[in-house]
Amino acid sequence: MNAIILSAVLGVVMMFSSVFVKNKSALKHIAAAGLLVLLIANIADTYGCSLFKIDLHNMLRFDKFGLFFNTIGIGATLIYVVLSGRDIEKSGNYVAEYFALIFFVLCGLTLLTSFGNLLMLFIGIEILSIPLYILTGSDKRNLKSNEAAIKYFLMGSFSTGIMLMGIALIYGGTGSFQLEVVRSVFASYKGVSFLEIAGLLFLLVAMAFKVSAAPFHFWTPDVYDGAPSVFTSFMATVVKAAAFVAFIRLFDARVTETSAAVDWKMLFSILIISTLLIGNITAVFQQSVKRMLAYSSIAQAGFMLFALFSLNDMAKEGLLLYAAAYSLATIGIFAILIKMKDVSFEGYNGLAKTQPLLAATNTIFLLSLAGIPLTAGFFAKYYMLASVIKTGSYTWLVIFAVLFAAVSAYYYFRVIQAMYFKNGEAQTDTITPGFKAGMVIVAAIIVIVGILPQTILNWFYF
Amino acid sequence: MGITTILFWFLSALALLSAIMVLASKNPIHSILWLIAVFFAISGHYILLNAQFLAIVNLIVYAGAIMVLFLFVIMLMNLNSHTEPQKNIWMKLAGVISGGILFTILISVIRSSADMVNRTAQLKEGNIGLINTLGKVLFSDYVIPFEISSVLFLSAMVGAVVIGKKN
Amino acid sequence: MHITGLLLDAPQANTAANYLPIALQLLFALGFVATMMIVTHLLGPKRKTADKLATFTSGIETHGNARTPMAIKYFLVAILFVLFDVEVIFFYPYAVNFRALGWSGFYSVLMFVGFFIVGFFYIIKKGALVWED
Repeated sequence: MNAIILSAVLGVVMMFSSVFVKNKSALKHIAAAGLLVLLIANIADTYGCSLFKIDLHNMLRFDKFGLFFNTIGIGATLIYVVLSGRDIEKSGNYVAEYFALIFFVLCGLTLLTSFGNLLMLFIGIEILSIPLYILTGSDKRNLKSNEAAIKYFLMGSFSTGIMLMGIALIYGGTGSFQLEVVRSVFASYKGVSFLEIAGLLFLLVAMAFKVSAAPFHFWTPDVYDGAPSVFTSFMATVVKAAAFVAFIRLFDARVTETSAAVDWKMLFSILIISTLLIGNITAVFQQSVKRMLAYSSIAQAGFMLFALFSLNDMAKEGLLLYAAAYSLATIGIFAILIKMKDVSFEGYNGLAKTQPLLAATNTIFLLSLAGIPLTAGFFAKYYMLASVIKTGSYTWLVIFAVLFAAVSAYYYFRVIQAMYFKNGEAQTDTITPGFKAGMVIVAAIIVIVGILPQTILNWFYF
Repeated sequence: MGITTILFWFLSALALLSAIMVLASKNPIHSILWLIAVFFAISGHYILLNAQFLAIVNLIVYAGAIMVLFLFVIMLMNLNSHTEPQKNIWMKLAGVISGGILFTILISVIRSSADMVNRTAQLKEGNIGLINTLGKVLFSDYVIPFEISSVLFLSAMVGAVVIGKKN
Repeated sequence: MHITGLLLDAPQANTAANYLPIALQLLFALGFVATMMIVTHLLGPKRKTADKLATFTSGIETHGNARTPMAIKYFLVAILFVLFDVEVIFFYPYAVNFRALGWSGFYSVLMFVGFFIVGFFYIIKKGALVWED
């Protein structure tokens, strides 16, 4: 509860900073301080120190999983603001508003990690999405940004409509919005009717859209490419991970284990296969690193979908690890991408000579995304695949995933190859020592998590 | 056939016809006017279900305010007929097929679900849709979504300023 | 049920039949407008010459297109209007239950309105409602 209320209040604080704070560069310090307060409040909440005592009427349910994910999301946002705060400043005239919108997105995120009622799911998704539509279109003079915003808005509201239809059907079948009631109806084989199943399928489509899983991914490349790079970074990481947490809260094991009518495992494996296939194969052919990252985010979503496929404890832990590893690495890569003058693969040529430190950290991030051992990404992928093996069936899915992880290594290594083995003068903006230090810290976190994943998970989670 | 049944069929036919006309009209202004007709027909349905508050809100917010917004959006755009892009026939076909599949599935879901057969909605009376029942539920059980929705409104306000205000 | 009885009685508030007068009024309004439009078309004189049908622009030749994009300022005001319109709608169910809900209802509405006042203050300070820029 701390995080939900505080993030809304901090959003308001940022709104008023736009009126009262004249010094533009002070804004990012205010935002970073606010995020730090939010982070501490959420960690306090995790250990049972809640600032607000409110009768929740079962609308929200706080558990360790959700609160721990909040910590990851808020922490990643903090790192993002610290690394890219200067670039947010440069992206338009409404800097304080951008930060306010980011806080509102975090409010949506905290709702999605703790909803206990389908109505709250809907409101959470909306609070998460609407600020993003605005951030996507924040570069008003740029036609591509406008196009991305209108596409994102139209497709996003359409998928929200499908979600509402699904919620309405489930309500029609079970007579309740409460997640507990819905789960118990699904858990009893006799009670579940086609209305609820159709409703759940609609919810599946809507959530698959939000996490950009394959047949519903068409908006992703255009939106990620068209939006200002700073905001793409935020959208592709924290927001996507939040949508995944909402997804796994909704498709709890009790909901999908009914034998009635739908083979959910098969359904999810189709989603996974098409997502991995389309994301990875299309990413191979991209000429722009930014667009490649958009497709790679689809491919990574394919891996995160394994958590929904297996739905056991290992999958949940793995999803947390995956969200953290993927978000950190992608935020780092984007932080460097924003500094580049040219975001095509050629633009990275010879970065190792002009900015050796950035090239080295970028390599670590890319290796982590590819899932090379000794990085956080390796263990994230390992947890996902191990959770599938634990379910005992669909082993071929694991083989398939490993093959595509190998394909993904190809396009991540293309960037590394451009940085180290190609001649050229990579042009960057001025890099401050603080930025370099930040990159080193993020890279260090990724390597430490990669070496000691179990310790880190135990330390935080249990 | 009582008066309620006649009204139900009339309003349903009106709603469907207007909805089809929204899509079929070439002129976007006409589409919006037909959409207003849809909202009126649906408000009529709400009254038949005795959901009076919803009926009025539907008229005030949707037919009144949001339709005005739609009109503004259309007037913001440069809509001269020759700039309209030609749509691909295959895209249209794909749309028709996928929409048709969805339609069939929805119909079969409703027909096949056993507990829906022989059940009718509560018509004309009942207290569920009345404004004071709704108010009691809204401010007690559903007070949290109600409060949280103000965050949504705030972000919409910020968005309106960020997108709409001239620098 | 006899129709005049329906109109004269004050039946209990929870049936849709109460809306019959409104429906009648709506029908009457629509019918009146439709009749007037048809009747004036039938009765009025018709002189359809090219000059008569041309758009009247105070004697000056028409030029340009009526469909020019209009300023986004209108849209900004309209969308802010919608937001506050929705806020006002939420007062209806509160007003009806004002006594029954007691202080807890009052605080929840106060918080809701507080958020909106914050937003309103922000809008004013940002000059979103200033017409000249």
